Amino acid sequence: MSWWRWFSVYGPTYLDGLAATGVIAAAAAVCAVIWGALLLLVRLELGRAGARAVDAYVQVFRNTPVLLWIYLIYFAFPLVGLTWPAVVCGGLALMLQNGAYISEIFRGSVKAIDLVQFDAARSIGLSSWATFRKVVLPQVLVHSLPALGNQIILLLKDTSLLSAISVAELTMNAKLLTEQTGAAYEAFVIVAVLYLFLVAILELGVKWARHAVSWRPPHHAL
Amino acid sequence: MLTLLLKGALATLILAIVGIGGGTVLGVGLAGLSFGRAWPLRFLYRLYVFVTRGTPVLVLALLVFYGLPAMNFALGPYVAGCIVLVIYGSAFFAEVFRGGVLAIPAAQMESGRSLGLPPGAFFRKIIAPIAFRYALPPYVNVCVMMVKASSVLSIISVWELTLAAREIIERTLQVFTVLGTAALLYFLICFAVDRLGRRAERHLMRRGFVGERA
Repeated sequence: MSWWRWFSVYGPTYLDGLAATGVIAAAAAVCAVIWGALLLLVRLELGRAGARAVDAYVQVFRNTPVLLWIYLIYFAFPLVGLTWPAVVCGGLALMLQNGAYISEIFRGSVKAIDLVQFDAARSIGLSSWATFRKVVLPQVLVHSLPALGNQIILLLKDTSLLSAISVAELTMNAKLLTEQTGAAYEAFVIVAVLYLFLVAILELGVKWARHAVSWRPPHHAL
Repeated sequence: MLTLLLKGALATLILAIVGIGGGTVLGVGLAGLSFGRAWPLRFLYRLYVFVTRGTPVLVLALLVFYGLPAMNFALGPYVAGCIVLVIYGSAFFAEVFRGGVLAIPAAQMESGRSLGLPPGAFFRKIIAPIAFRYALPPYVNVCVMMVKASSVLSIISVWELTLAAREIIERTLQVFTVLGTAALLYFLICFAVDRLGRRAERHLMRRGFVGERA
């Protein structure tokens, strides 16, 4: 089969899967960052009990595979009456798992904020919510961009697990194509290349972020 | 039900040990490749690590699972799963060992070289102990990652804890109990690996081993 014919027959399936994977990963990443920021807020504001609770949450998700949570949410939600689509269940599991790791990344970045800034914020009368919003969050987000980028790459790779609950993303489409055409492994080679393509783009982004975060004054300004 | 899950946990443990053992051996070789003097060696290393770490475990597993019979190596899902774990782990272990070697302070490298040992003894007595000390924490992290990666193998029908849990759920529909127990078993395994690693670190520090924690 010529390349052009192959591309017109199978290309759309791969491109659909690629787009679906990208959208799911982006949505899950945004939700995971928000959730990680919320966990950070709990850790900072709710005292020792809050910090211990977040620690326990992080330990649970560090020591269990994400596939288990995907199955749990997907099979258990209908039992309690929540008939959400599979994408949402899987995305929720990804958000919970990666939110734990992201809150740890944020925790490391918070340590990089000079304590003086908290005194300064209090002295100009900022409430704790206002200091979180205007002092902590911007600096933490910028400081943790490289590590966040790495975590998002991991999240992108974990979206392939959603094929286990039949979400129509790249790996699922590859499985379907394998069954349809009987070509054993070619589909997965192409899918691997596509994932590598996405990962390469994200890694370039991480490199740029690492460069942008480590800002130094230009030498002619000093 | 609990005995089935425990058997599954044992299968997971065995898979993880095979993956960690094979991955460590292959990883040491790869890390050596990364310090090769000829650039094709280093290029091969970078290519291997990029491809192996950049593809999801599931895609790697499906590739090997469907690809082996195509190459007339119909060895079954269990062997395919072991191969996948070893390959996937070798890339991460290689990066860990490489990082351990690069973390050796330059002063110690120079004083070691000034001893004029032959390459084999140099590696055994200077590089290996110091790099091992620096590589231990991320090594334990990768071991935990291998345990979690073994759950993905359930999708290519390798029988382990996640697959056992899914089978029980399909029969009895006790989703919360079964998956909760499975999660607890995974937690215990990973937590134990983590603690063992920390105990090994403390033991190394007590004996006055070289290298200090930053």
